[in-house]
Amino acid sequence: MADYQSIQSLHKSTPAFSPTIPTFLLPYLAFLLLAATFALAFYFSTLPKEKIPARELAVASTASLLGGFGVVALFCSVGVYV
Amino acid sequence: MPRHWRAPLSLLLSAFLPLCTLAANSFENTAIVRTVELGGALVHVTTTYAVKALEDGSSVYTIALGEREHAHTAWLEAKLKGQTERLPLEDFGYHRDSGFYLYTIELPKALNVNQTSNLVIETVQTHATYPWPEEAAQKDPQSLKYHSELLVLSPYKTAVQRTKIRSPSPQVHSYTTPEDVEFTTDAVVTKAGATITYGPFYDIPPSAIQDFVDKKQKEIVIHYAFDYPVLEITELRRTAEISHWGANLNIQDNINLHNAGPRLKGHFSRLEHQSQAYFGKAAPHVLPSLQLHLPAGIHDVYYYDLVGNVSTSHLRTTPSTPKGTEANRFSFLELRPRYPLLGGWNYSFTLGWDSSLSDYAGFDSKTGKYVVGVPIMTVIPSVVVDDAEVAIILPEGATDVDYYAPYPALSESISTHITYLDTIGRPKVTLKYQQLTDKHGGVIYVTYKVPFTAHLRKPVAVATAFIGFFALAFAVKRVDIRLRRK
Repeated sequence: MADYQSIQSLHKSTPAFSPTIPTFLLPYLAFLLLAATFALAFYFSTLPKEKIPARELAVASTASLLGGFGVVALFCSVGVYV
Repeated sequence: MPRHWRAPLSLLLSAFLPLCTLAANSFENTAIVRTVELGGALVHVTTTYAVKALEDGSSVYTIALGEREHAHTAWLEAKLKGQTERLPLEDFGYHRDSGFYLYTIELPKALNVNQTSNLVIETVQTHATYPWPEEAAQKDPQSLKYHSELLVLSPYKTAVQRTKIRSPSPQVHSYTTPEDVEFTTDAVVTKAGATITYGPFYDIPPSAIQDFVDKKQKEIVIHYAFDYPVLEITELRRTAEISHWGANLNIQDNINLHNAGPRLKGHFSRLEHQSQAYFGKAAPHVLPSLQLHLPAGIHDVYYYDLVGNVSTSHLRTTPSTPKGTEANRFSFLELRPRYPLLGGWNYSFTLGWDSSLSDYAGFDSKTGKYVVGVPIMTVIPSVVVDDAEVAIILPEGATDVDYYAPYPALSESISTHITYLDTIGRPKVTLKYQQLTDKHGGVIYVTYKVPFTAHLRKPVAVATAFIGFFALAFAVKRVDIRLRRK
């Protein structure tokens, strides 16, 4: 268990936190990802019924994944830092 | 009091040892000067001890605080005169035989016989003053009373000592002139402007003994005018939330503000208040606005109370300073509550802001740990915080959480906090403090690790929700709801 002074100097010396995705990109990313999600959801609604719904599954999972990241980026852009 | 040192295990033993063995090395006080800076909620007391060693190798000096003084003391610090480094201080707790609280100070260099040193002990007392008269009309001035002991007590012999009490304004209504004081032949008390000097007192024997206190100690009371509102924060709840996705640190303070001045006599007259503001003759116990120094580099500041958003505030921000640098630039916020705070009145509000996480957190790639430093509170000069709780909310999935507080907290806990888009919840470190003063502007450091998969938890949770909708659509498409089969 390190002591307070050593943690204080560690805090001062370590490089500053930088996010994986730069914050200024988040609003644009949110827009692009959610637009893609919307488009894919629309496409999903036009797909015919098939015995093995491979295409439907593929479109649904891609749209969900893009939507997941899009919603998180959207929350951060509007000020709800999740 | 929140201390910046730890009480030793020998605390338990000390209660049973006689005082003479505790004052381990023999010293003699050649001079003691105590300076009391009177204030409102806070009183700063600086005591300078000129000590002479009577034994070789003396390095541990003991000071004694009486019960009342100890109850009010919220900050205690020992230094050598002229130096900035704090000396190690140990709390030996309550000594039942003498009725005193003992603290030992370790001198940096042991003193040999007849070597001298100058120690400066700084303390801050909270709730040591009270308004007198207890009620005042809106136009009336404000006066406070402060009680103290005449003599500075010490386990060692004292050659000469004096106490100087400085009032913030030269208007001192009354001060005690003690009678039958043995240790001086001159006038016991003299007043020069705003400073009242008690002493000098000569040849005082070791005085940190109950017998001495009963027979020789006298009480002094100063009644003085005070021209600023006496403010107390009865409750402070600070929440610091860390977001890695947004690279943001949100700090939110829920503050209950109390004006500890004289209670308002009669009713509040808005007309009187406006005319005071117009003619510039503000009553000293009325608080129309509060100036706060917030950190640099903040944005999206919000200030609301129970009724809603409070728009009567002015904010001037300054650009952010790099992580870990000394705070020398502040954002200035002038808060104007919905109503002026008169004596005895309370006001609760919420103040919060967002700031870039890179100004507060760092990443140590060697250990894979993040280190974040969260200030305990926004220091408001001359204001005491009775009850403070600081909660630091870490990102979801944080592990190996360790925290380092500048002063030991009254209670510490780690719990789970659930907020937007959470599945397993976030670790929350909660530290509780009492009687914080303007000297307690420290930083709490927290170290934690967040695996990469934990970062992906939120998008995957939202993706799962989307998949749910798609699955529903998938099922609905395959349900035949026609009334007649074709």
